[in-house]
Amino acid sequence: MITVNNLNKFFGKNHVLKNINETIEKGEKVVIVGPSGSGKSTFLRCLNLLEVPTSGEIWFEGFNISSPKTDINLHRRKMGMVFQQFNLFPHLTILKNITLAPVTLGLESEQAANARAKQLLDRIGLTDKATAYPSQLSGGQKQRVAIIRALAMQPDVMLFDEPTSALDPEMVGEVLVVMKELAEAGMTMVVVTHEMGFAREVATRVMFIDEGVILEQNEPKTFFSEPKHPRLVDFLSKVL
Amino acid sequence: MFDKFFHDFYFGIVEKEGYKLILEGLGNTLFISLCALIIGAVLGTVVAIVKISKSKNVFMVLLKLLCSLYTTIIRGTPILVQLLLAHFAIFPAIYKNAPIVLTAIIVFGINSGAYVSEVIRSGILAVDKGQTEAGRTLGLSSFKTMRLIVLPQAIKNILPALGNEFIALIKETSIVAYIGIRDLTRAAQQITGKTYEFFAPYITVSIVYLMIVIGLTQLLGLFERRLRKSDNR
Repeated sequence: MITVNNLNKFFGKNHVLKNINETIEKGEKVVIVGPSGSGKSTFLRCLNLLEVPTSGEIWFEGFNISSPKTDINLHRRKMGMVFQQFNLFPHLTILKNITLAPVTLGLESEQAANARAKQLLDRIGLTDKATAYPSQLSGGQKQRVAIIRALAMQPDVMLFDEPTSALDPEMVGEVLVVMKELAEAGMTMVVVTHEMGFAREVATRVMFIDEGVILEQNEPKTFFSEPKHPRLVDFLSKVL
Repeated sequence: MFDKFFHDFYFGIVEKEGYKLILEGLGNTLFISLCALIIGAVLGTVVAIVKISKSKNVFMVLLKLLCSLYTTIIRGTPILVQLLLAHFAIFPAIYKNAPIVLTAIIVFGINSGAYVSEVIRSGILAVDKGQTEAGRTLGLSSFKTMRLIVLPQAIKNILPALGNEFIALIKETSIVAYIGIRDLTRAAQQITGKTYEFFAPYITVSIVYLMIVIGLTQLLGLFERRLRKSDNR
């Protein structure tokens, strides 16, 4: 579904991603872990071209989306993204937040979009918040809304950039539950997170990035019980 | 003292029909200000967006350069000089017999646009980058993201500063008498010419200016409260 060829990213002189080659298949749930500053968020943001690769190619569903000739807006519709800071639109109601993109892009009538937004809200138990503004929601509620806002575009893959890192500890659970349900429903997911429990439970593959290189990856059981690379052994000993 | 003021006021404004001059002046002042305000707001928004764009397209780069030149020159020279230059040199060359009110509207519109563009630019830059990213990842184009997500939030932030700019614009139009337009200030001058008394006419137009500005402030306050509906604070 997503193929990354010889991806390099520089910020000025700083070589953040070093020649990464990777393929993510449909239905996979890839969890990316690593120390801060390792490049894991940059890698995720390169997948939908929020960061433009310095060199290399990103292929998505058969299109080279890193080519300047590609209309990236068309492909981004199929790649949902959830941010650490939620990034809900503060000037719009929750319902409008969810329906803005599908309606503006002419994918759905306003009526149909509203109906589906209400279904989605119902799924996360926030039906009564449809007319509220983001500032009236808790962090956990905001992030759940951000997830269904991305889902309203009916994406083929969902990218999560540390979705629980800005939340109070007691709200982490409710967001992870929604993500788990999404995984069980068969969504392809790429998740950058520090939640090792989530990685262990939901991931089909866990990837360890350090200093811009994928040092090791494996299915979660082996990844956590038999880490091979000394950097990963050290990392796991600190976070587990 | 008040007796004298009321006597002068009655003599100049009513008996000598100064009110007619003041009404005509008020009409011109409002018309020029309003038209210039609209031109300034549109021009300012466009210039701000061009200046913020990161596009490396040759056309856009040239346009950006032009916009920088525009704000530098307009903000770097006095409005009165711009007005006189336009009226005596530029318009005679490109559009003979241009109505002077039109000249004034264009000069003030262009002048205001330069200041408004900086206000709007700062407002746009103050909107969190995550908002743009969220819009773009939903598949919206950069233009739609700007129009539907960034600008509405920016306007809320810049409304007080923009109000300041509009108020300054209204009062600055008092220099149009230099090119022969009978605005509010000119009306006061003309009344003094009839009565040889200065206090009453100038106090009267001062009060009229004040009323316009207070009215505008109220209007902006109303608008601001409506926009703050989503703030919950």
